[in-house]
Amino acid sequence: MIIFISVLAIIMIASAHSADQKVYEIARLKNEAKELRSAFVDGRSQLMRLKMESSIIKKVVEKGIIISEIPPQKIKVKTQN
Amino acid sequence: MATTETNILNRLYFVAGSMFVFALAVVFKLCVIQFVQGDEYRELAEERTIQNMDIPANRGNVYSVDGSLLATSIPKYDIRIDAIQPKQELFNTLVRPLADSLSRYSGKPLSYHLNKIKKARLDKNRYFLLARDISYSDYIRIRNFPMLNLGAIRGGLIVTQEEKRDHPMGGIAERTIGYEKIDEDGNVTRPGIDGYFGKTYLRGTNGKRLMQKIGNRKWKPIVDYDQVEPQDGYDVYTTIDVNIQDIAHHSLLGQLEKYEADHGCAVVMDVKTGEIKAISNLGRNQSGSYYERLNYAVGESHEPGSTFKVMAFMAALEDKVIDTSTIVDTKNGSKRFYGRTISDSRGHGKISAARALEVSSNIGLATIINDHYSKQPKKFINRLKGWKLHNKLGVSLIGEGKPVIPEPGDAIWSKNALPSMAYGYNLRMTPLQTLTFYNAIANDGEMIRPRFINAVKEFDREVKSFDKEVINQKICSDKTLGEIREILKNVVVRGTGQRMYSENFSMAGKTGTARTDYYDFEEWKKDRKYVSSFAGYFPADNPKYSCIVVIHKPSTKVGFYGADVSGPVFKRIAQKIYTETPLIDEVESLEVVDVKIEEQYESFYKTSRLHKTIMPDVVGLPAMDALALLENMGLKVNMRGTGTVKTQSINKGIKVKLNQIIVLGT
Repeated sequence: MIIFISVLAIIMIASAHSADQKVYEIARLKNEAKELRSAFVDGRSQLMRLKMESSIIKKVVEKGIIISEIPPQKIKVKTQN
Repeated sequence: MATTETNILNRLYFVAGSMFVFALAVVFKLCVIQFVQGDEYRELAEERTIQNMDIPANRGNVYSVDGSLLATSIPKYDIRIDAIQPKQELFNTLVRPLADSLSRYSGKPLSYHLNKIKKARLDKNRYFLLARDISYSDYIRIRNFPMLNLGAIRGGLIVTQEEKRDHPMGGIAERTIGYEKIDEDGNVTRPGIDGYFGKTYLRGTNGKRLMQKIGNRKWKPIVDYDQVEPQDGYDVYTTIDVNIQDIAHHSLLGQLEKYEADHGCAVVMDVKTGEIKAISNLGRNQSGSYYERLNYAVGESHEPGSTFKVMAFMAALEDKVIDTSTIVDTKNGSKRFYGRTISDSRGHGKISAARALEVSSNIGLATIINDHYSKQPKKFINRLKGWKLHNKLGVSLIGEGKPVIPEPGDAIWSKNALPSMAYGYNLRMTPLQTLTFYNAIANDGEMIRPRFINAVKEFDREVKSFDKEVINQKICSDKTLGEIREILKNVVVRGTGQRMYSENFSMAGKTGTARTDYYDFEEWKKDRKYVSSFAGYFPADNPKYSCIVVIHKPSTKVGFYGADVSGPVFKRIAQKIYTETPLIDEVESLEVVDVKIEEQYESFYKTSRLHKTIMPDVVGLPAMDALALLENMGLKVNMRGTGTVKTQSINKGIKVKLNQIIVLGT
């Protein structure tokens, strides 16, 4: 009887500890997720700035490429899709 | 006193009695704590270890039309150093490399950082700030600097992280995208879309959950459900087009810098739907650089100047008091009205009313309006009010400027008010209100409220969508519309906007050059201040976008006319949109039978079959065909130029050998 109860007690204590452990784990993962999100937004905003037309214009102007005065011409064939 | 048994016993009783009383007191106190103050202490204990904690809701994102992030919440980092934590020896060897890395990061000199950190150690500063509000990639970089890479215990690194609102586009359209800020006193500032929709959609509601303290500043949930589930904020999809916004921002910035202007704004609106595709507001700071300072386009109500002539002219057309060919005498650039002189930059003499608007004659417009409305000013005012020019637009941004349209009886009404109003003075409008009117002209008379958002979504589920809102079904007759559109087109072709004309694409609009801050006229004459603007739409015939550009106080040394200062921004935006839309040529089918080509091919085919070793007559054939023909025969062709063949070095009918050289002339 006493042994049974002490086994139960040990299991209880163990599970309480493992629950605590999980809380720490969750907190750690949450932080990691946050950091990854931060890295993602950071990368994305850098990309956005890089791919903006004005920054591209600045970059290619030294290669002698300037913005076109006339739009591209597109030929559309009606019978073919 | 002799030591007797009784004596000892007495002493013993005394000591035992005292101990008993002391024990009683302890028991009494225990009971008091346990039963009398017990509840209070138990509550305190619970409060320390168990709390109903807020679970913060995630604020929604703000997106552009193509799904780019305009505003989002991300963690930002503050980096500090505990300056006395590293051991002396370690500090001495690493402080210089650290300062070096920091100076490379911040651009400030090495000595600056070195002195600061050394001073922090002398001052025993355990919380010395190195960098504030930095992004994740910068944080990773700084964390690997010398000394800091040793961590908190050895290197003294302290990192604090906080959720902050970030605009991935940086300063572009910042005022319109906006934010919501609550300071310590609870005062809220809510500029832009983020501010306006913060409460209703973006914010979400915080949840609640019972948590128990488990040490190391961590809390664990007591039960496995939340008392109140947090509700994340919705995402807001705006109408802003990142590409157009980018061009508007940078071309406006370029003009402001060129003209050293005080501030300016540019707004692009979709004609059919009223969607604001781009809105840029730049103001100058003390050091002379520009940033999104205030939402001038929405908030700043000012005297519009010549862009308002269009409204006055349309009122006169619509009331049928004039037509476009009515002759008006603009004198030689100066005319007196009720004791006050109105002047033009030069005289135009007797011209048609339409021409008066094209050359933006103040006298012309003042004369037209004064001649026909001075006896019935109410009629003119009511026309303007019918167009709702005296009302705010009711856009979804906080702080819209209030327009002012005076009427007889008002404090600012006088005899001179009417002719002044004809050319855009003595009344106030915001750039966005002017744009809305021009947009109505472009949209066949239908006046639409400018709109900043398309939809509110929760992931992919649409919570609310926004559609076009009509302010006025038809502002005027089709006849008036046709006439005014013709004039606006001519402004750019041969009027005040002539310098903007481009043969590649068409624009229509009206320039404006208004005086501002002229209350002390003598002072104004010394330092002339103008508001240069251009409002219009493009393409001229089938308008897709309307646009207004207003630039305040350009340096008059560089220039101040609307067409020079604001016009180029307008043109650049129009050009950008024009060059981005491909011209589409449609052909029915690729199977086109061209008789001439068929014939040429037939004869080519025949010759190539016929002549295998005998030289054919290639004179008159296209050079390309001749080349193919002869090379197929195994000849080496020597030819220069293009076009048709005129001479051949080997006459026809002669037998040729392989690799023989033949010269063709074109």
